[in-house]
Amino acid sequence: MHYIDLYFQFIKINLKSMVEYRSSTISVALAEATGFFAQFGIVWVMINQFKTIGSWGPYEVLLLFALNLLSYALASFFVARLSNGLPNMILMGRFDEVLTKPMNPFLYLTCSGFSYGYFCHVIVSIIVIVMCFAKLCIKMTALKILFFIIVVISGALIQASASIFSAVPTFWMIKNSSLRSLMFSLSDFIQYPISVYNKAVQIVLTIIFPFAFVNFYPAQYFLEKSDFLMFSPIIQFLSPLVAIILFVGSYLFWISGIKHYNSTGS
Amino acid sequence: MAFIEVSSLTKEFKIYKRKSGFGNVLKSLYHRDYEIKKAVSGIDFNINKGEVVGYIGPNGAGKSTTIKMLAGILVPTSGTVCVDERIPYKNRKENAMHIGVVFGQRSQLYWDLPMNETFDLYQKMYRINNAVFKRNVEFYVELLAMKDFIKTPVRQLSLGQKMRANIAVALLHDPEIVYLDEPTIGLDVVAKDRIRHFIKEINKEKQTTVILTTHDMDDIAQICDRLIMIDKGRKIYDGSLEYFKQTYSTGYMLIVDFQNANENLFNSKFKVVKEEGTTKWILFRKEEISAPEVVSYITQNFAIRDFSLKEPDIEEIVRHIYEKDIQPVAYK
Repeated sequence: MHYIDLYFQFIKINLKSMVEYRSSTISVALAEATGFFAQFGIVWVMINQFKTIGSWGPYEVLLLFALNLLSYALASFFVARLSNGLPNMILMGRFDEVLTKPMNPFLYLTCSGFSYGYFCHVIVSIIVIVMCFAKLCIKMTALKILFFIIVVISGALIQASASIFSAVPTFWMIKNSSLRSLMFSLSDFIQYPISVYNKAVQIVLTIIFPFAFVNFYPAQYFLEKSDFLMFSPIIQFLSPLVAIILFVGSYLFWISGIKHYNSTGS
Repeated sequence: MAFIEVSSLTKEFKIYKRKSGFGNVLKSLYHRDYEIKKAVSGIDFNINKGEVVGYIGPNGAGKSTTIKMLAGILVPTSGTVCVDERIPYKNRKENAMHIGVVFGQRSQLYWDLPMNETFDLYQKMYRINNAVFKRNVEFYVELLAMKDFIKTPVRQLSLGQKMRANIAVALLHDPEIVYLDEPTIGLDVVAKDRIRHFIKEINKEKQTTVILTTHDMDDIAQICDRLIMIDKGRKIYDGSLEYFKQTYSTGYMLIVDFQNANENLFNSKFKVVKEEGTTKWILFRKEEISAPEVVSYITQNFAIRDFSLKEPDIEEIVRHIYEKDIQPVAYK
C-alpha cells in the first residue's frame, strides 16, 4: 500500500516537473507519435508489396508489431530509469542515494522513474491493435479479452526482464552499452513473424532470448494460426509462465548485482 | 553498548592497473592486473548518542568510505559496524529510516520544482505523520532562513540555498543520526555559519547524533566536541578538540614588536622562530611556561612597542600532521 501511495506521489512530482518544460514535452510527444506512425507505415508498405510474409497477412504482421511495441512501452513505463539510467547512476556514484532511502532499491527506481515518454507508444499501439482486430474480424469473447490482457502483461514482463538483464552487469563492468545494444537488436527480430528466419534464429528467440513469447506465439491464439515451428501448440499459452520465470530471474540477478556495488569516490 | 560501534572496520577495493602503450591496452582487454587498495583499514571507534563528531583526514583518507559503510551503502570487507543495534548493510532499509545522509557534492532535490515538493515526497517516503512533518518544516524553514525561496524552483537557487534545503530534507523524518559529508563545501562564510548554527541547534533540540566530514577546520572548531582523524585508512587521532590542540600543537605564538632591532633573546623555555625588522615571533608551550610569564619576562628585560598572542590554530596543526605524515599516537 505504502508503495502505491508513494508511486502516485512520484507520478505527481514527475508530472509537475514535466509541466515546467511544457513546450519541450509537447514537441517530444509529437515527434515520438509521428515516428511510430511512420514505422507502422513502413511495415504497411512492405507487406502491401509482398502481400504476405511467411504466410502472415498484412494485419497479422501489424498486430505482431503493435504487440511488441505495446509491451515494450508498458515495460519502459516502469523500468526505463532502472535500466537506462543505471549505468550513468553507477558511473557517477548517484546510486548511493538510492541506497540511503528506506525502500527496496528496485521499487524505488521503478516508482521514481515513472516516464511519460512512452505514453505515445501505448496510445499508438492500442489504436493499431484495435484496428487489426477489427480488420481481421476477430470476435473478442470475455475469455479472449482476459487472455489478451495477460499476454500484454507477460510481454511487458519479458521486455522488462530483458532490460534488467542487460543493465545489471553495470554493477561489475561500470560501462556496458554493448550488452544493451545487443538486447535491442535481438528484440528487433520479433517485429516480423519469426517463422521467416532460419531455424537457429527461431531457437534463439524461443529458448535463449525468448522474445518470441511477447507476440509471435500468443498472437496465434487470437489469429487461430498454427505456425508453431518445431514446438508443441501448447507454446501459445506459455507466455505468462516464461514471463514469471524471466522476471524472477532478472530480479535475483539484480539483487546479486547490488551486492557488488562499490560506489565511487567523492 | 555504544550507540555506534565500529571495530576493525576494513574496506578493500580492487584497482585495475593501467599501463601506457598501445600493446598494453590491447593486452588489458583479456587480462588485467589489479591490486587491492585498502580504503579503510582496521578502524575502531564508539560514538554515543548526541555526540557531534568531526571526521577528518586528507583527500582519499577513507572518510567517505567509512560514512558509506555506516549508512549501509557499502558492505565492509571485514570488521563490524553496528549502529543503534542494527547492522547497516544487513538491515539497510530499517537503518535508513533512522538516519539522514547529506552528500555535500550531490543534491536530493527535484531540480525543476520548488523544494516543498521534495518535502512532500519525503513525507510519504519516510511515512512522517502530518503533525511532525508540519512542525519540522516550519522549524527548519525558520532556522535555516528559507522562507524567501521555499517556492522557487531549485534550479534557480544558489549553492548555499540548495545545501540548506538538502540538509532540511535529510532531517525531515527526525533521524537519530545524521551523516554530513562535506556539508559546507564551496559555500561562503555566511552560508557556512548558517549551516553550523543549524547543526548545533538540531543537536541541542533533538539530541541528534552528528558525524560530519569536512576540510574546513572552522566547522570542527565551532560545532564538534570530538574529533576523529584518519589518514591512509587508519585512525590517527580520536579524542576531544582541546586535547588534540594540546597534543599536536606546535605551541602558542607571541608576536612582539620591540623598540630596538637585534634584541638578544635567550631562554630555554621558548624559541624565536621568525624575525622581521623589530618584530619577533616567539613560540612556547603552555606546559613549559605560561603566557604571563613569557610576557613579563620580555617586558621586564626589553622595551617593546606592542605584542599579540596567537592560540594554536587547528588548521595549522592539521596541515602539520598531513605534511609530516605523523603516525598513530596515543588515543584518548
